[in-house]
Amino acid sequence: MSVHDFWTPFALEPFISALIIGLSLASIWLVAALGLTIIYGTMGVINMAHGEFIMLGAYITWVLQYFLGFPWLLCLPISFVIVAFIGWLVERGLIRHLYDRPLDTLLATWGVSLVFIQSIRLIFGGEPQYIDTPEFLSNVVQIGFLNIPSMRIFIFGMALVLVGLTWALLYKSNFGIQVRSVMQNPQMAASFVINSSRVYGLTFAYGAGLAGISGSMFSGLKTIFPDMGLGYVVEAFLVVVTGGGELFGSLATAGIMGEMFSVFSYFTNDTFARFVLFVLIVIFLRFRPQGIFTPSMARR
Amino acid sequence: MLLKLEDVTSFYGKTPILQNISVGVEDGKCLAVLGRNGVGKTTLMRTIMGLTTRMTGSMSIAGEDVTHKQTHERSSAGVGYIPQGRGILPKFSVRENILLGTFARSDRKRSIPDMCLELFPYLAENLDKRAGTLSGGQQQQLSIARALATDPKILLLDEPTEGIQPNIVQEIEATIERLNKEVGLTLILTEQHIKVARELSHGFVIMDNGRIAESGETKELTDEIVDKYLTL
Repeated sequence: MSVHDFWTPFALEPFISALIIGLSLASIWLVAALGLTIIYGTMGVINMAHGEFIMLGAYITWVLQYFLGFPWLLCLPISFVIVAFIGWLVERGLIRHLYDRPLDTLLATWGVSLVFIQSIRLIFGGEPQYIDTPEFLSNVVQIGFLNIPSMRIFIFGMALVLVGLTWALLYKSNFGIQVRSVMQNPQMAASFVINSSRVYGLTFAYGAGLAGISGSMFSGLKTIFPDMGLGYVVEAFLVVVTGGGELFGSLATAGIMGEMFSVFSYFTNDTFARFVLFVLIVIFLRFRPQGIFTPSMARR
Repeated sequence: MLLKLEDVTSFYGKTPILQNISVGVEDGKCLAVLGRNGVGKTTLMRTIMGLTTRMTGSMSIAGEDVTHKQTHERSSAGVGYIPQGRGILPKFSVRENILLGTFARSDRKRSIPDMCLELFPYLAENLDKRAGTLSGGQQQQLSIARALATDPKILLLDEPTEGIQPNIVQEIEATIERLNKEVGLTLILTEQHIKVARELSHGFVIMDNGRIAESGETKELTDEIVDKYLTL
């Protein structure tokens, strides 16, 4: 292989295309990481089942559409609610007994993820499934020389909407004050009538619901299969950890990571770009383990 | 009795820290809890808030039995807590810290009570400042304001003048006195300074080694007792 096979020279139009792809990629990673930002970033729980919450969201969408004929857009809020409820059950039944044992939480949620994957495989089989999306989301939008699939524009918009809603919930609502006070100092929060156990349950449920709705969206992008969660969760964890577990940290990190990946893979190829990106993240975390922004929530 | 503890033993883990504590405070009075460092004053406050591992005996607030209630249920029964070290949330703004207190209100009002702003003009002018950037005395004011926002019947003040510059101590003392005499709040106050305790309180208990060693009206707090239990 010569250098010229490996290295693509710079050209303006494809490069701008690559930047747009980077934005799209960033929005997908951000959506996948949003629930994790809440669960890991604010609660300090390393939820190994996060990818499987995404997978469940995708399968719920598929079931609603295949068996009940629901339109795809309606499936998004429904899978948010159902996966949030599943997440709440997992928190109530398992995780809340393990808050002072973080390593056991890791193991337990990994067990949960295996149970989810195998259950889905038993019920629906291991073969990939397809989902019908509305026509206006299945075509390609042409802007000048750029051809952008409208689904990617939709996901980009939804990412901004979900970040906005999450920001409003955490920083502008009474529930947000409760969440942030429990994260800073559970005893003081309890001294002011905040039921921390209820707050943990609802926060986890919200994070799981975000994973569910992201799974729903991804079902419109790619095929769905029982192991699909793995394809999203690595980048999601990297976004959350590099972003310091903060909402805007995740936003910034997803943007930077998406663009870097896309630019690297424009000049080289996907595999090499991924390699470079991961190495850069490792080096970055070596010198700044607290992430881009300093985390405001105390780790338990 | 507005607050009453009967034969309370309180545990951290399996270790009893306070033993056989019986103490009460009448509506509108101020009770001073005295004693050297490490005798259990703060633990008594934490026991009242339900922040120790568990307690035996019985405790009631305004006639309601709260022995088996959790912390958040006790605070909604009308106890405002101003902990040692102030316990303000440093990442929150002044406004958010005070709003935190309003979650305990029975009327579910989510606004900063006028009294807080009137008592502490500095806080009123700096509602959007990060609480972590305030000075010790200002944080203490914030802690009191937050407890007041709960619309409490009783205030628990754990060493309110500890670690605060002397000119602010007087100010905080005056505020505490006003809360008791003018607003009519019942207070439980731990204090290292005997002089402050004598000025503010109606009754006292002296703790020693996790038990109550002496108790009575403040006028019965003789120098002899002070020498025996409080002088270093």
